[in-house]
Amino acid sequence: METTDKMRVDVERSIQQSVEDISETIRALLAERGIFALNLISSPGSGKTTLIEALLSRYEGKGTVAVIEGDLETEIDADRIRKHGVNVLQINTRSGCHIQPIQLLNALRRMDLSDTRLLIVENVGNLVCPAEVPLGEDKRIVLLSVTEGDEKPLKYPLIFQTSDVLIITKTDLLPYVKFDMDRVRRAARIANPRIEIFELSAVTGEGVPAFLDRIESFGDAKRPRP
Amino acid sequence: MHELGIAEEILGIVLAEAERNQAKKVSAIRLRVGVVRAIEPEQLSFIFDHIARKTLAEGAALEIEEVPVRVVCAACGEMESRSFAWECPKCKGYEISVQGGDALEIVSVDIEV
Ligand SMILES: Nc1nc2c(ncn2[C@@H]2O[C@H](COP(=O)(O)OP(=O)(O)O)[C@@H](O)[C@H]2O)c(=O)[nH]1
Ligand SMILES: [Mg+2]
Ligand SMILES: [Zn+2]
Repeated sequence: METTDKMRVDVERSIQQSVEDISETIRALLAERGIFALNLISSPGSGKTTLIEALLSRYEGKGTVAVIEGDLETEIDADRIRKHGVNVLQINTRSGCHIQPIQLLNALRRMDLSDTRLLIVENVGNLVCPAEVPLGEDKRIVLLSVTEGDEKPLKYPLIFQTSDVLIITKTDLLPYVKFDMDRVRRAARIANPRIEIFELSAVTGEGVPAFLDRIESFGDAKRPRP
Repeated sequence: MHELGIAEEILGIVLAEAERNQAKKVSAIRLRVGVVRAIEPEQLSFIFDHIARKTLAEGAALEIEEVPVRVVCAACGEMESRSFAWECPKCKGYEISVQGGDALEIVSVDIEV
């Protein structure tokens, strides 16, 4: 007669192992080509595309920038970026609430990256899921607009824990909303003591140059291997 | 709804383990999930039940061990918290850092062979 035994198999591994493996492949591909990569994450409408446009209208080595736009649907953001004459590709995730590493890897393999030094990835608007998924980026940048409320670092700690840079956007609207800047800065630093914080307005331009200078210095830090 | 993606990852790993061990059935899956992962255990179990239908893991129970964050306060020392904190739960001071609570792991799988 057939018998049934119960047994426990010890697994002890990350649930995201396969995702992490692909993001390591991306990291290696970028390192080999000396490309510095930014992963921009925020809620919908915090100003990611606007900031990328500001960067492109001032960035010296425009020919060396490539942009990947992530959205559920449409090419609207890619069209906005394309007007600046840079290499751009749109990923439509359909029902996916973030860019998957495999989607980014496939996009990078389709693009001509021979002149690219700086890769900007605009993730799908969402503070939860993109935080969980590494894309092999060098710097993860979270944007928070002042109209979203100052308690967001408490509600979505993971994105603040895992980001290298916090940009507080739309500071021109501060007079019209209740937003405690000190509270946000403090909460972000509690989540991540090493986070760099910038405040800026794409409308008045205030704070934008300081951030762009920082981006250029990031790119300088990474050069192809001899 | 990020629980769906996570449930799919879990199912993939579990079915691979089940096959490797020639299991007839998976009865339970132990997970370790940090509180900052924003995962709703009931939601995750509900979705997992759904996608595991007609597989070896049909009806398997998800046993979720929640991992707290560590709050380190300059005045009070170290303590655990079930949620992210922006002030020390004890002295209400701001001289704190909050660490960990980001685990997302499969600990073990119970199978019948
Ligand atoms: N007042 C103000 N509006 C802004 C600023 N930056 C972006 N916006 C507006 O916010 C809206 C969403 O911006 P967009 O860049 O498309 O956000 P994304 O969804 O994060 O890419 C647009 O109407 C922008 O014009 C800013 O600094 N100040
Ligand atoms: Mg956009
Ligand atoms: Zn304390």
